[in-house]
Amino acid sequence: VPSPLAEHAILLASTFLFPPVAMVVIVVILLATLGKSLGLREIYVNILIRIFEWGASQIKTTAKLKRKESHVPLDMHIESDEDEEEEEVDEEESERKSARSDGYESSGGFSRRRRNSGASVSSRTSSVCSLRRRHGSGNNIIRRDTQLNLDDDEDDLSREILPVNSRGWAVIGDSVDFIKNGIEAIIEDEVTSRFEAEQLMTWNMLTRTSTRFFQFVNWKLTALYMAGFIFRYACLLPMRLTLFVIGLVFMLVSTAVVGIFPDGALKKTLNHKAMLTCHRILSRSISAVIYFHDEQYRSSSHGIAVANHTSPMDVMVLSTDNVYALIGQSHGGLLGLMQRALSRASSHIWFDRSEAKDRSAVSKLLKEHVSDPDKLPILIFPEGTCINNTSVMMFKKGSFEVGATIYPIAMKYDSRFGDPFWNSSEQSWGEYILRMMTSWAIICHVWYLPPMTRGEQEEAVDFANRVKKVIAARGGLVDLEWDGMLKRCKVPPKLVAKQQEKYANRLSRYTSTCEPFPRVHGSTPNDEAEDEGIAASPPISGYNSLEELPEDVIVSDEEDVVVETRPLPHPRVRSRPVSHVVEAIN
Amino acid sequence: LPRSQIGMGNSSSQLPRDDEIETIAHETEFSRSQIVRLHARFVSLDKKGRGFLERDDLKNVPELAVNPLGDRIVDAFFTVGGSYDDGAFASVKRLDFRQFVRVLSFFQPIDRSKKNVHNRRTDKLKFAFIMYDLNKNGYITREEFVVILNSMVGANITSDQLDNITDRTFAEADMAKDGRISFEEFCKAMEKTDIEDKMSIRFLH
Repeated sequence: VPSPLAEHAILLASTFLFPPVAMVVIVVILLATLGKSLGLREIYVNILIRIFEWGASQIKTTAKLKRKESHVPLDMHIESDEDEEEEEVDEEESERKSARSDGYESSGGFSRRRRNSGASVSSRTSSVCSLRRRHGSGNNIIRRDTQLNLDDDEDDLSREILPVNSRGWAVIGDSVDFIKNGIEAIIEDEVTSRFEAEQLMTWNMLTRTSTRFFQFVNWKLTALYMAGFIFRYACLLPMRLTLFVIGLVFMLVSTAVVGIFPDGALKKTLNHKAMLTCHRILSRSISAVIYFHDEQYRSSSHGIAVANHTSPMDVMVLSTDNVYALIGQSHGGLLGLMQRALSRASSHIWFDRSEAKDRSAVSKLLKEHVSDPDKLPILIFPEGTCINNTSVMMFKKGSFEVGATIYPIAMKYDSRFGDPFWNSSEQSWGEYILRMMTSWAIICHVWYLPPMTRGEQEEAVDFANRVKKVIAARGGLVDLEWDGMLKRCKVPPKLVAKQQEKYANRLSRYTSTCEPFPRVHGSTPNDEAEDEGIAASPPISGYNSLEELPEDVIVSDEEDVVVETRPLPHPRVRSRPVSHVVEAIN
Repeated sequence: LPRSQIGMGNSSSQLPRDDEIETIAHETEFSRSQIVRLHARFVSLDKKGRGFLERDDLKNVPELAVNPLGDRIVDAFFTVGGSYDDGAFASVKRLDFRQFVRVLSFFQPIDRSKKNVHNRRTDKLKFAFIMYDLNKNGYITREEFVVILNSMVGANITSDQLDNITDRTFAEADMAKDGRISFEEFCKAMEKTDIEDKMSIRFLH
């Protein structure tokens, strides 16, 4: 039993604290309903930026002092000082760059990043340039000379193809190229880094990023960090949790009410309002600051909206501005409850586990939904998995086969204030939510892009790549051919076979595979080609095409990975070339 | 010192110790900042956070998995990484950070102004040789060569053509005509190729 004095104190505290808290909550809901914002979050974000920059300068100055004290050889000094100055100058430069600047190419590292800012010039978008520069290339280790490409048209291991005098030894020379490529890939490759949280250039006062930067610099920084910690856990977290619960309750209640109405224009309008409000409340529960650009391209009619995927919050972020139909696997528990609630107010596609494996069934459902003009555009993330927002990975072609209009959307988060990337193999859902709610804020830029349709003769895969390119260019992300599913499973042997085929083609172009010492050779059908063997010939392959190779890895969805392997047959043709192929190499 | 990570996997992202960096810098001629970055890479490859790498960790790099010689490269990496200073080779199962950096140091560009240019060249050639020499007996036999060639071209060449290329290669390189290529013969034959450029990687400072 608490003493009377303590009890009195508690009661007083809750009286004085509660109304302010209650008022804040009510104001937030009101604003969310009206779709307005006080601009408080932007002010908050700017204050935070100043604090981070102060913190960064603290770290740098102490580090410099430390280095001067210890006896480090002079040349190492100079190197790292130069690096730092470069970084600082670059950051300042980009801060001053106007929003119209056309982008730049990062110096270190192999990928070239073209960053175009939008047509609209405003103070907000000028911060976009500096946003993109934040996660620059300062961490690259090597400048790559070779790259194994997955697509057909580029020649990999790029170098000139010279006729080589010693033809046999050319193979050894080539193998050394492969070695170099392999070692370069070990040091730095395009894919592994995409599944980790993005590297920050400066510290953002969160514990989770501290080990890289914070090694006890000075008392001021520590004090600031502790203050931030307390603020986040004691103030922000409870407020956010409250808002989250309110948002959920609102969603359940409003969808139930809207569900009463019969299908029609009224229901659609009501659903629109209800969804927007409820997502806005929810987005405030993680302090999301979202900037939308090019709103004229926002999708209003039916079709498929396509975006790059970074976190489970993506749906919520996009839904604060527009209403979409969702598609996904039906879950149980809380998520299932929400799914059912949403379905009452508008039609979404939820399929169960068994249907998930059947691609044609899913695609049929998609087609049905998309052809109905009364239905909302469906929101799909074709990468299939969360990527860390530095790149866009392979788009699965399923949604591009359907034939609907595609509305591409590019999303770029600013992870200085909290990284929304979720690696489901490393963190559980609960941990992730806790992290989200104790971050400073989630900042996202969303660009709507003009709608695209498939060309007459265009393959779905090519169309998918076209859309992906546009999204990557807009969001300032690297466009990759690799499959996001590589997060979980191994590279399918099909890709290796493709590299082998490419190499065999190259080999046949500048070397001859004929015998070193002339012998009578019975069964070659084509005797005219001489032994320079320069003419490119189609490969003599045991398979007619790559499609015949067994599909070795099948992945169904985020949760379960089904890997079936069948051994590759090894056709060894003994002294009899496959008949249907013309042999130009002699 | 608040170092605890809350709910975040992969907690071995600490920086390497200063003395460790000093030793490695001394051994390999990498600069301090390069070593720190390589350590970050090491940590990201070491997904389970055990402090050492196994073959599978390297094979998980997709670009390496797609490389037709990927398996052989990983094997050579682990053999050279586990080698002793006197040159004897032992194929090991695990590499720690120091060994990792040591192997990578063989791929540094050769600085002609320094001494040991010849040693550097030999080191690079050794890596390539080990990749070919499957059973590590110091000789590349015809069969071993065919295996490598087969890996590179897959099903796209008939076995007759494979034989032809092998014959040609051995005719050129096998001076002793004993049906196998020794390390000296290998080095001699490689004099024509620009091995230094092919096996040098441009490390950024």
